[in-house]
Amino acid sequence: MMESPPLPLDAAASAPSRICLHEFSGRLGEQLVHFHLMRLQGSLFLWVGAAPLLSNLAVAMCTPRDSIPVSTSVLGDASDTTSSSLAQRLARKTKKQIFVSYNLENTESNFILLIENRIKEEMTAFPEKF
Amino acid sequence: MAAKPILDSKQAEEVVQGVLTEVVCTAFANSILVVVTQYGKMGTLVLVEPNVLANDIGRASLATKVLLGKDEILREPRGPGKRTCGSCPPLVHVCAKNLVTFVSQEAGNKPVLLALALKDKSIEGIKAVREVIRSCKVC
Repeated sequence: MMESPPLPLDAAASAPSRICLHEFSGRLGEQLVHFHLMRLQGSLFLWVGAAPLLSNLAVAMCTPRDSIPVSTSVLGDASDTTSSSLAQRLARKTKKQIFVSYNLENTESNFILLIENRIKEEMTAFPEKF
Repeated sequence: MAAKPILDSKQAEEVVQGVLTEVVCTAFANSILVVVTQYGKMGTLVLVEPNVLANDIGRASLATKVLLGKDEILREPRGPGKRTCGSCPPLVHVCAKNLVTFVSQEAGNKPVLLALALKDKSIEGIKAVREVIRSCKVC
């Protein structure tokens, strides 16, 4: 269950933005894929999966030294680069530090493109959640 | 296309020792993600994992591992001419264990991935933050 108590109107304008939780889903490649997003200050946490498992985590952030954001795996099998590369591309798009946990078996590039497009679709529809 | 969310998350926000503290707990089948922040950001990532021994069905001992961020031993110099104290326990590990051991145990010895960003690391602060985490119980 998501709980997000509302801020009083006068405090909302001056208070630092609170952690915002957002859930969305999409039927991609005949599979129901769930996305769980946490927006923090200048950073995002995105979990992608079909079952409630956390099997890996990668983080990426932009750097002034390179147009490609730096990324690294922090949890799970580092030889599977799906989470890191997804984090890299999202960091580039959002300009934020982004943590990504990709927990689906299908890691084919065509499928990942569907995943990214679903995320971009949600970013366009609900930009305040990202 | 709205489907029922498959992750259970709870969020809390409280002023602890004068510092705004946000906690988010998310339950997975194989772990619990706990975000504790006084900076509005993820901070240091610590994995708190039970070492379950073959014969030990009850309380497992917990190992802490810093996955991302600061991991250093805190040393307190005692002034010129005096010996420094022996190696002090790494503060991040101590805080992590104090904050989420109960979360792991109450979830059936699941590993806890803790994102920790604290301004106040005093004993009173930690105890108070632990209660905020307790109010966000998800499992």
